[in-house]
Amino acid sequence: MDIFIQQIVNGLTIGSIFALVALGYTMVYGVMKLINFAHGDMVALSAYVGLVLYTQFVGSGMPQAFIIILVFLITALIIAAAGVILERLAYRPLRNAPRLSAVVSALGASMLIQNGIMLYWGPNILTFPIGIFPETSWVIFGATITFIQAFMLILTVVLMVSLTMFINFTKYGTAIRASSINQDAAKLMGINVNMVVTIIFIIGAVLGSVGGLFIGIYYRGIEFTLGWNYGLSAFIAAILGGIGNIPGSMVGGYLLGLFTALISGYVSSVWAEAFTYILLIVILIFRPTGILGERVAEKV
Amino acid sequence: MKKTTIAYIVFFAVMALIPFVSNNLWITIATTFCIFSVVALSVDIVLGRAGMFDMGHAVFFGLGAYATAIMNVHFEMNILMAIQVAILLPAIVAIVISSPIVHLRGDYLLVATVGFNIVFVQMLRNNFLGLTGGDDGIFGVDAEALGLYLDDPMIVYFMAFTLLLLTLLVIRNLEKSKAGRALHYVQEDPIASESIGINTRFYRVFSFSLGAAIAGLAGFIFTIQYTAVSPSAFDFMTSVMFFAIVLVGGKASIPGILAGTFIMFVLPEVFKGFETYRYFVFGIAMIVSMVLRPQGIFPAKYGKLPKYVTEDK
Repeated sequence: MDIFIQQIVNGLTIGSIFALVALGYTMVYGVMKLINFAHGDMVALSAYVGLVLYTQFVGSGMPQAFIIILVFLITALIIAAAGVILERLAYRPLRNAPRLSAVVSALGASMLIQNGIMLYWGPNILTFPIGIFPETSWVIFGATITFIQAFMLILTVVLMVSLTMFINFTKYGTAIRASSINQDAAKLMGINVNMVVTIIFIIGAVLGSVGGLFIGIYYRGIEFTLGWNYGLSAFIAAILGGIGNIPGSMVGGYLLGLFTALISGYVSSVWAEAFTYILLIVILIFRPTGILGERVAEKV
Repeated sequence: MKKTTIAYIVFFAVMALIPFVSNNLWITIATTFCIFSVVALSVDIVLGRAGMFDMGHAVFFGLGAYATAIMNVHFEMNILMAIQVAILLPAIVAIVISSPIVHLRGDYLLVATVGFNIVFVQMLRNNFLGLTGGDDGIFGVDAEALGLYLDDPMIVYFMAFTLLLLTLLVIRNLEKSKAGRALHYVQEDPIASESIGINTRFYRVFSFSLGAAIAGLAGFIFTIQYTAVSPSAFDFMTSVMFFAIVLVGGKASIPGILAGTFIMFVLPEVFKGFETYRYFVFGIAMIVSMVLRPQGIFPAKYGKLPKYVTEDK
């Protein structure tokens, strides 16, 4: 039983990462109907940027908590800027082109960022230093929760609550929801869809950068291919919850995290990835709109 | 029409002469070009002609290659015995895995095929049923048949070249046949084609299966060329490359796809020093080519439509 609870805790921790990254996919898909393949690589980039910033700041004598906040903020800023540039250069010119052209452009952007990371930081694994967070841990119902895990879980929940509030209760949130229902109608209502797209790329990049820093802090080893690995998993989480559906991605992220943790804990860790994708295929066959996605009639 | 015929004749003549005027290195590169062109053309049957987002075609290529290696190394059969398996096994697997997913809309199908590709590679890496040999793959394929060593560069080249000719012939016949027209309608508008009596589901599965059979046969020759197979040759990245070749070259456009294969697989072989920058440059090239020519470098032409048809779009 202890192992079970421990796996639940681990699953929720991984799930936080998946949920944060999945939100970036789902919001872009919701408005642009485009799988932003480069999002995973943005996440990888943020882990690298975070590592560089941390090693810069760590010897400067600033208090540790302040350094951490600074690293999170600056990384978020840099990745948000990169997201906006990416959208301008690779996606905006293709807004009215055939859908597949945008997909290829997204794949190209992904390869560009991934290999750019490899060329700049080298193909080897880099490691985050230890001691970023205090080594405290608590035992709850026989399961150990480390300080890092608690920090990740709480920060994720805070971010998600703020995102939900933003989407549901602000003018910009309403504009985002309207654009994802019908772009043309939104334009007629005076919504600047280009601005909405910029906003979702910024939000997606900020959440993704937090996810990327979590990957670095929690697993410590980062590799240039991590964008594909976590990106695809997060994308599965988005589909699990119904792509385009914001609360769905949050739920999907946690469910996928729990699923992965339980499979690798109880069944087999070498086959864990295969099980994840089999789950994806089964979901796609039986419920392609996801768990929370509403059934949409096909437009004729 | 005349010009394209001449272009094809020149192209085939050059291809046929390559082995007599160059050394083994160039013959190997030309073989790679032929094999990957065949796979790209088989992806095009699914992606360009039937209009289904297939980003897992390396599965079928890999099935053909692994079937050949497994039959030859583990069951010690003659290499030629593997031909029919390398064609039929991918075709049957394609029918089985595509039947439940062909009704999915664009992006969902894309993700499902990616999923199949990743499950397939994981099976290869984990030494599935003790046959696939794990991360290292299978070595030591014995390519001796009919008193010849089929892995001789010259023989492999002519096998690959013949396969390319056959594939082009199949595609030419497909274009002029009932099935090819049906696929074209299904791609343009599935509901309209259903209403004029085309079984969309059947033709979608058919295109997967035909594409898989051709890719499987390409896998057979690929195994002979290297006398070995390894999982990394069939991973998700390979599928992405083929997907990109078809769309950068131009859907359903044979010159476009041949040019795409040339750029993606032959140029990196020629400029070896450029190897590390390969995917970085491809990434830029993919974005730039899509932004400048969203329909591909050489978009397929379907004859001229009257103006009143094209205007209202």
